[in-house]
Amino acid sequence: MLPQVVKKGITDKPKKLANLIDLANLPSTLIDFVGQSQISRLGCFMHVWSYIKANNLLDPNNKNVVNCDEKLRRILLGKPQVELVELPTLIKLHFPKEPK
Amino acid sequence: MGKLTPSMRSMVVTTLQNPVPPPPKYPKYQSPSTTTTQVPNQQEPKSKNNKRPHNSKKPTRNKTLTPSPQPKPIFHTPSLSNAKKTFDQIISTSQIPLDLRHYNSLLKSFSQISNIHDSFSFLQYMTKKNRPNFTPDHSTYNILLTQSCKIPPNHSQDHSDLSVIRKTLDLMVENQVPPDHVAVDLAVRTLCSVSREEDAIQMIKEMGVKYSEPDMFTFNFMVRHLCKTRSLNYVYEFIDEMKEELSLQPDLVTYTILIENVCNGKNFREATRLLSVLADAGFKPDCFLYNTIMKGYCMLDRGSEVIGVYKQMKEEEVEPDLVTYNTMIYGLSKVGRVDEARQFLVVMTEMGHFPDTVTYTSLMNGMCRKGDALGAMALLSRMEENGCSPNSCTYNTLLHGLCKSNLLEDGLQLYGVMKSAGMQLEASSYATFVRALCRDDRIAEAYQVFDYAVESKSLTDVAAYSALESTLKWAKKFKEQRQAG
Repeated sequence: MLPQVVKKGITDKPKKLANLIDLANLPSTLIDFVGQSQISRLGCFMHVWSYIKANNLLDPNNKNVVNCDEKLRRILLGKPQVELVELPTLIKLHFPKEPK
Repeated sequence: MGKLTPSMRSMVVTTLQNPVPPPPKYPKYQSPSTTTTQVPNQQEPKSKNNKRPHNSKKPTRNKTLTPSPQPKPIFHTPSLSNAKKTFDQIISTSQIPLDLRHYNSLLKSFSQISNIHDSFSFLQYMTKKNRPNFTPDHSTYNILLTQSCKIPPNHSQDHSDLSVIRKTLDLMVENQVPPDHVAVDLAVRTLCSVSREEDAIQMIKEMGVKYSEPDMFTFNFMVRHLCKTRSLNYVYEFIDEMKEELSLQPDLVTYTILIENVCNGKNFREATRLLSVLADAGFKPDCFLYNTIMKGYCMLDRGSEVIGVYKQMKEEEVEPDLVTYNTMIYGLSKVGRVDEARQFLVVMTEMGHFPDTVTYTSLMNGMCRKGDALGAMALLSRMEENGCSPNSCTYNTLLHGLCKSNLLEDGLQLYGVMKSAGMQLEASSYATFVRALCRDDRIAEAYQVFDYAVESKSLTDVAAYSALESTLKWAKKFKEQRQAG
């Protein structure tokens, strides 16, 4: 029964899903960061998150905060520190809704 | 045997070693009540593996049709003339006289790569050459029958659908081996395996009138297959047709299949109607059917009704089995009557059934629903004391329960155990856990759980991320409100 629910959850909101996994053309700042010209929002999030983990950018005193390095600052509104809570929101800014 | 070709030798050896009787075995339908131990009325709460009860009853006749594994194929090309040559070679070099089994094996091997008309000719050729030694019998013709039914539906459109099958049947009659119920069953199963249900029904009718009526196994197979592939009306139509044309009456197994099917479709009214039809037809439900009914009630969110079914079983003097108790405990837990469910744990032990993982997990699920996650944890240790090991479903249930009851520390501890055992997270417990962590402002840990869910392939990236994203959105709002207020 559970798989049905999951499946339903996904098929119920095809737009939401598409918005998450469709490849989008990236602005130049993001191209430098991810190294590809197209990526999905989900892929971008994964990329940024693994970058944070790989470079130990989490603040040692408060693990919920990311200390941005030069590269990360460039794509996250130039903030020196970013809270993990707002990471998806910040990344979403690079993926504007397509005009109808 | 020195002069046999290697492939032939291996064939002879395998055939002699396992003397598989050539006629396809009659499907041994286990009686429902004997199979119930492995039957999935034992659905675990939120388990993804709810197999349907009747799966385990699937007869294994088709298996006997596949040839015993042969090291090398005897025939390399579907060409008839090459096959004849190979056959001549085998005959001339073999020092022992071949018997029926060998001929059948040869025909079977050839039929797997050739077209049906070549198979006919090949059989004719073999028969002609060895008249006294080789008289084809049922098993031989059944090979051809299977092959003629196997032609997938779209291929058969150019030459009229059933003509090949009819030709095989005529051939059987000509050779004094009229098709029997085994032939009917074979034809039906093979046709269904290539999604030719209409043709299968047509064959049942035709063969029923001309040669042999289908037996109950064939009939019930067809009903079950139609339940899976067609609408309920279609199934009823089929049953009515069988009643009228072949005076075949549905039996207890048929009703069980139907009841299960309508319960899976959450069609309560139809299930009730079927039960009364069943009673009118003079059938007494057995343990398996009672279990199916209980399971049906659980699926229809009427878990309380299981008590009524249980009482009825007692009245009818049907002995409940492990599955009955498990289903009852599951159903009662689901509707929040945990105390009664607990009592049945005692009852079942008294009756000599050992509660298993499913039993305990169902009960824990009920306790967690009531908010008694600590009680469920206590049950976990009791269960382990009793020598019953928890599975990932148990842990997921507990994790979900602990997080719901705001016992995050215990949840984290449990999560540690799950992680070290490499268990997968279920979608619901994952979401609840992430939410609980975020509520406690442990965002980094929520990210770690997200990583684990993706790594362990518990959820798809999309599902895991969607849950995380929406939770973070909620957490952000929550935080802002707290700061503002």
